[in-house]
Amino acid sequence: MPTYKLTYFKSRGRAELARLLFAAGGVKYEDVRVEGEEWQQLKPKTPMGQLPLLEVDGVMICQSKAIARLIAKDIGMAGKTPLEQAQADMICDSLDDLGNKLMFLFTEKDENKKEEKKKEFLEKTLPPTLDLFEKLASAEGYFVGNSLTWADVNFFAFFDLMNGYIPGDHLKVYVNLNKVMGNVSSNPGIEKWLKERPESTS
Amino acid sequence: MPAYKLTYFNARGRAEPIRLLFAAAGIKYEDARIEGADWPALKPKTPMGYLPILEVDGTTLCESTAIARFVAKRAGLVGKDDLQQAKADMIVDGMKDILKKLILMVLEKDEIKKEELKTDISEKTLPEFLSKYENLANPSGFFVGDSLSWVDVTFYNLIERVRAMFPGDHLKGKPNLVKVMANVKANPGIAKWVKERPESAF
Repeated sequence: MPTYKLTYFKSRGRAELARLLFAAGGVKYEDVRVEGEEWQQLKPKTPMGQLPLLEVDGVMICQSKAIARLIAKDIGMAGKTPLEQAQADMICDSLDDLGNKLMFLFTEKDENKKEEKKKEFLEKTLPPTLDLFEKLASAEGYFVGNSLTWADVNFFAFFDLMNGYIPGDHLKVYVNLNKVMGNVSSNPGIEKWLKERPESTS
Repeated sequence: MPAYKLTYFNARGRAEPIRLLFAAAGIKYEDARIEGADWPALKPKTPMGYLPILEVDGTTLCESTAIARFVAKRAGLVGKDDLQQAKADMIVDGMKDILKKLILMVLEKDEIKKEELKTDISEKTLPEFLSKYENLANPSGFFVGDSLSWVDVTFYNLIERVRAMFPGDHLKGKPNLVKVMANVKANPGIAKWVKERPESAF
């Protein structure tokens, strides 16, 4: 078992997927949270000047999906075959595409415009995308095969984060997607982590 | 009938890294190119409503990076072990940010804003990106290990796209990256493909 050290800011953000996966796999890791001067000191030592950062036996890996995929492989949640792994990758990349459409939450300074964009996202962007995700999830509530993979955990992490910015029962009408959320939150390691994790608004 | 069918528009675009990988590995595939007029009929049959897609073993995959990684695995071009593969994933994902900025610039209709974005890219974002990537590549001209991987091929394709939008000797003073480009171009399968591939505007 390698030694893992995960570094991020004092929030869930782009690191929570890794933390959820560590929890799901019962893997011990150092959950380092930095800010301000501490981050400025660390930044030039990182591969791309960004967080999250995973150090595995001293080797630095950045990019949240590269990190998550590595942990998923370690805990047997990456997909059982190359094809299943590709299916998991595809779901996770698609979630990033959806996440990109939410960037206005951080870049739009005009509050009125921001509210308009939120409305447009909820009414025009999200539903057709969720329709597609619903078709890709199985009736048992898995995106890949018939057991939990990082694709399911990523989906959960996405809405865990989104609900902080735009509260609402966004998955109300989606049977399969609700099952995915249930499968993830009832994983014993994840259930424990959700109860015990540090509080943060995002 | 080849076991792989790649479908995209008649363009290099997001499909070209995949085509380059098929070529590097000498793997036969159906390189399906559709006309714009045919897209609306095909769109609902795709997993997430966009191209490229890869049909393989009775499954349809989307997301160009997920597909590229899948083909790279089949071609033995992903990296020797989990940690090398994670490093490869991180370097590939790091290229998405600059590609996004390039695409935003190309799509910008406001001429003044477009010039601002161009200046930001050529004076700030692109040089910073290339400096980071010079450090990530080794003096033999490989991003991962000591042989060609999908990272090198993806980087080569990115620089070709950059050069098409921003003519210039961007890799001056970056010997590692110059070697990466040379290594990719020297791959016989890729050299043949680049000579023979269909012409397209982008």
